[in-house]
Amino acid sequence: MLELAGVHGGYGGADAVRGIDLAVAAGEAVALLGPNGAGKSTLLAALSGVLRRRGGRALMDGADLMRMPSHRIVAHGLAQVPEGRRVFAPLTVEDNLRLGTIRLAGASRGAAAERFDAVYALFPRLAERRAQRAGTLSGGEQQMLAIGRALMSRPRVLLLDEPFLGLAPRVVEEIRRALEALRANGLTMLLVEQKLDIALGFASRAYVLVKGRIALAETTAALARRGDLASLYFDLAAGAG
Amino acid sequence: MRDFLELAVSATASGCVYALVALAYLVMTRPTGIINFAVGEWAAVAAFGGFLTLTHAEWPYAAGIAAVTAAMFAVGWATERLTVRPLVERGAPVLAPILALLGMLVVFRELISVGFGPDPRPLPQAFGFGRLEIGLVAGSYQSFFTIGVVLGLFALTWWFFERTLAGRAFEAVAIDRRAAALMGIDLSRVTALSFAGGAAIAGVAGLLVAPNTSAHYMMGLPLAVQGFTALVIGGVGRVEGALVGGLILAFAEQLTVRYAPVPPGLAMGVPLVLLILFLLVRPTGLLAAREARA
Ligand SMILES: Nc1ncnc2c1ncn2[C@@H]1O[C@H](COP(=O)(O)OP(=O)(O)O)[C@@H](O)[C@H]1O
Ligand SMILES: [Mg+2]
Repeated sequence: MLELAGVHGGYGGADAVRGIDLAVAAGEAVALLGPNGAGKSTLLAALSGVLRRRGGRALMDGADLMRMPSHRIVAHGLAQVPEGRRVFAPLTVEDNLRLGTIRLAGASRGAAAERFDAVYALFPRLAERRAQRAGTLSGGEQQMLAIGRALMSRPRVLLLDEPFLGLAPRVVEEIRRALEALRANGLTMLLVEQKLDIALGFASRAYVLVKGRIALAETTAALARRGDLASLYFDLAAGAG
Repeated sequence: MRDFLELAVSATASGCVYALVALAYLVMTRPTGIINFAVGEWAAVAAFGGFLTLTHAEWPYAAGIAAVTAAMFAVGWATERLTVRPLVERGAPVLAPILALLGMLVVFRELISVGFGPDPRPLPQAFGFGRLEIGLVAGSYQSFFTIGVVLGLFALTWWFFERTLAGRAFEAVAIDRRAAALMGIDLSRVTALSFAGGAAIAGVAGLLVAPNTSAHYMMGLPLAVQGFTALVIGGVGRVEGALVGGLILAFAEQLTVRYAPVPPGLAMGVPLVLLILFLLVRPTGLLAAREARA
């Protein structure tokens, strides 16, 4: 579904991520782990086309995302839930969701209404708060809105950047169940996560990114047997030099 | 009383023109953060377009206005493509396009000066020279026409931003560019459209004042200053702010000229005094955005 070969990208000076090879099969959920500043968000930005300098190849259904501008990438079927939620705080929940339909194929009223129904079914709390400004929602509700907003374009691949960060365990559980429902429906997902237990429960395979490179790629089951992530990162970083 | 009401009508009419120039600034600066001082020159270009179509070629009024406004839309689009986009795509800081547009301001002015010379050129009034009296309220046809057109344009702009998906997309870009891009909003298209719309709006402002002031190659700068002052008074956050700012400025100007014991030349300093006052005391303007930028 998604196949990266030699992807690189960055901001000023040197590339923040380099030589990334990574694959996600259709319907698979894959975790992307790594310490702070490893380049996880940068890699997702490169895939979504919102990074100034990017290169390499990222094939999705035969088309190279690296050669598309960000709006065509969304139209092609890849959406991202960005780090820190980034909901449009002054706008209502409904307006936030409606903005997600801007690249919805067959942008008829019917198609948009179907997406609203799907997202409200997934997160009933958003339906209750549809007329409320996004900035007045709780952190967990904002995260639901960020996910719902990304789903409005009916993506086939969803990138999630630390969607559980700073949320209470009860909310984490609620959102995890929603993501599992999406996976059961065949949505392909690449999940950036810091906490191993969440990644383990959700993804079948994981990549570990250290200092802008893939340092490890294996099943989450094998990863679980390695134990503590912090010492793993340390060892991998030492190995990477 | 009659005297004051007459002043009120003419102040409202010129306030509406200032408001329109402020609106031109606003539609560009909201999604891009770029302040484009060439709006005054765009108004002047449109005024000369009005001279060519209405006075010279004697087109019907509506046809001339429509043609010039459409042409200004294209001028704004082209200006953005040629001067703003290349800089933005290279990741230049926001000051770079502002300076490039200041350069364009000079280019537009010199083009007018070379093409038409220094003499003012007349434009016809929309409904000829006449006075309309409704009870105690009285003013020229052109004043009422100006007020009507500007209020209509403000209503249209408000409807676009508040009620259409494309307008909400502009707002989304203003709030958070990165998140807007992740929604699939085409940022460069929003920027180009905001400049095209800004030029069309500034053009209408030029077409509305020119019958009173004549088209003149130096008409741009005062409009740019008055519009900018109106924008600072009203705030860049909301469409209504531009209207409020324009009206406050025009009333301050005209009340000073009529009732304050200062020579008329000094009254021209009113916008500058207000500008400095607001920048010092209330830099966000009277109507702040609903919420700070994310
Ligand atoms: N907007 C930016 N401008 C410049 N450098 C950045 C920017 N964002 C991140 N970086 C740098 O890029 C590297 C990777 O950051 P990031 O992708 O955010 O890491 P992660 O998401 O894994 O925590 C870091 O060294 C960080 O300092
Ligand atoms: Mg990150």
